[in-house]
Amino acid sequence: MPQRLMELFPTSLRQVLERMPTEAREVLEEIRIRENRPLEISFGSRYAFVREDGTLTSSYREAFLPGKEQCRALLERLTNHSIYAVEEELRRGFITVSGGHRIGLAGRTVLDKGVVSHLRDIAGFNVRIARARAGFGAQILPDLLDFTARTIRHTLIVSPPQQGKTTLIRDLVRCISSGEWHHPAARDWGSRKVGVVDERSEIAASEKGVPTFDLGPRCDVLDACPKAEGITMMIRSLSPEIIAVDEIGRPEDAEAIHEAIHAGVQVLATAHALDIGDVFARPVLAKLARDGVFGTYVFLSRTGDKVKHRVISAEEALEATSRRFSRTIGAMPRDAPFDPIIAKAHATSTSPTQVTVKARQMPVIRSPALQEPQGIDHA
Amino acid sequence: MLKFAGILLVLFAGTMIGFLQAAKFAARPRQIRELLHALQRLETEISYGQTYLPEALMRISRLVQQPLSALFANIAEALMADAAESGETVRECWQRAINAYWPSTAMKTAEKEALLRLGSTLGGSGREDQLKHIRLTAIQLQAEESSARDDQYRYEKLSRSLGMLGAALVVILMI
Repeated sequence: MPQRLMELFPTSLRQVLERMPTEAREVLEEIRIRENRPLEISFGSRYAFVREDGTLTSSYREAFLPGKEQCRALLERLTNHSIYAVEEELRRGFITVSGGHRIGLAGRTVLDKGVVSHLRDIAGFNVRIARARAGFGAQILPDLLDFTARTIRHTLIVSPPQQGKTTLIRDLVRCISSGEWHHPAARDWGSRKVGVVDERSEIAASEKGVPTFDLGPRCDVLDACPKAEGITMMIRSLSPEIIAVDEIGRPEDAEAIHEAIHAGVQVLATAHALDIGDVFARPVLAKLARDGVFGTYVFLSRTGDKVKHRVISAEEALEATSRRFSRTIGAMPRDAPFDPIIAKAHATSTSPTQVTVKARQMPVIRSPALQEPQGIDHA
Repeated sequence: MLKFAGILLVLFAGTMIGFLQAAKFAARPRQIRELLHALQRLETEISYGQTYLPEALMRISRLVQQPLSALFANIAEALMADAAESGETVRECWQRAINAYWPSTAMKTAEKEALLRLGSTLGGSGREDQLKHIRLTAIQLQAEESSARDDQYRYEKLSRSLGMLGAALVVILMI
């Protein structure tokens, strides 16, 4: 685990975390700190509790309990002793710190006219550790190339949370902006200008405007900028050839992407979904997909430390969905107890990459009012 | 001859004590005023600049004069550096620095209490809340300032002449 990350923690917590076994620290994914509750870590798709002397245990009764003062000190360190300066982040429920690590927060929400205005009494922290994985993009990039236009096709990277979407898009951006196409036919293409609209500061992890991750030489980053606005700003003033955005899902994102593709810009985006059936079930993504916006879909799934990917083209995606789903979507009763779309999608998937994620249950959709937030859920 | 030198020394010492006392009376309202300016500056940094607290305190330390400058610089450094002995939270750093630096200022306990109370909330809540706390502290300090001015008006000259006259009394008694 990098030393920079350890600096986030107050001394008393750091002493515990630093004594964890090295093999766990190297594949660490999350550190979960909850006030007066057991200290938990997850690493390599497993989880464990941490004792006060840093050893790991599966029994939560023996685990170390971070106290109120430690949580207060941690929050102060995360916000650089200035909660007033991160009010916007508190409203969204997470803070991104230097290094691109994202800290999710749990506490009591304060409402203002029915809208969450910020969090107070913060008592739960989820430190998600960001890692650059050079070489990840090299396996996938050759499948995304458009040989006639000598660039990439519009691409949507799809996976459930925690499978490596952001890591992949970061490495793809680096490859494209430094001209490493990893394909013999593309050797003389040169590099492309890439614009990154980094709403959550996760792709580039900019610090005072300068990316801390290596994104290649020809990359501009709009840090902490809302995606829809950012895409328009990019096109207007920064003349990108490729725009990369993370976690699309709101209607205005779709509009901005439409703007971009008709402005001659290639779009590289990620979204939360399980498979192609899910893509067609989320209102905004379904609209983009049916309009034929994306030329390629990349599906990620992970078992342990290995990330598997599957690349399918738009034609394949449309073919897979149009016959089965496009007409049934509108006609299906929305309060059906079990979503037949997902069932079919699962039944038809024979690829080994899908096996690992079969267990994930879709929530029961009970009414149109409840289905609506699913579309805009992007966290 | 020796007696004469002794008389001179006693007179000089007494006068100096009187002047020092007077200077303290004069310095207290001035330092409170400076503290008020510093708080005003902090208010601006928080409300418009949204500057992080350590940086804001560092900037303030460059604006005010000694000994307040050293006080703010010390807090800012303690917040930037991460050391268990200087405290992990704003409250701890603030308390430690104020306790250490207070004797070198001319201010009294009332001001100290007000500042310590501010320190326990600083940085720990939203912008509106922070501004309220800073304004509350400013009001308390303003009250202290006016009483300090009263004291200065009343006692500054008095302590100056008292020092010299006291020394003269000692001289007369000892002759």
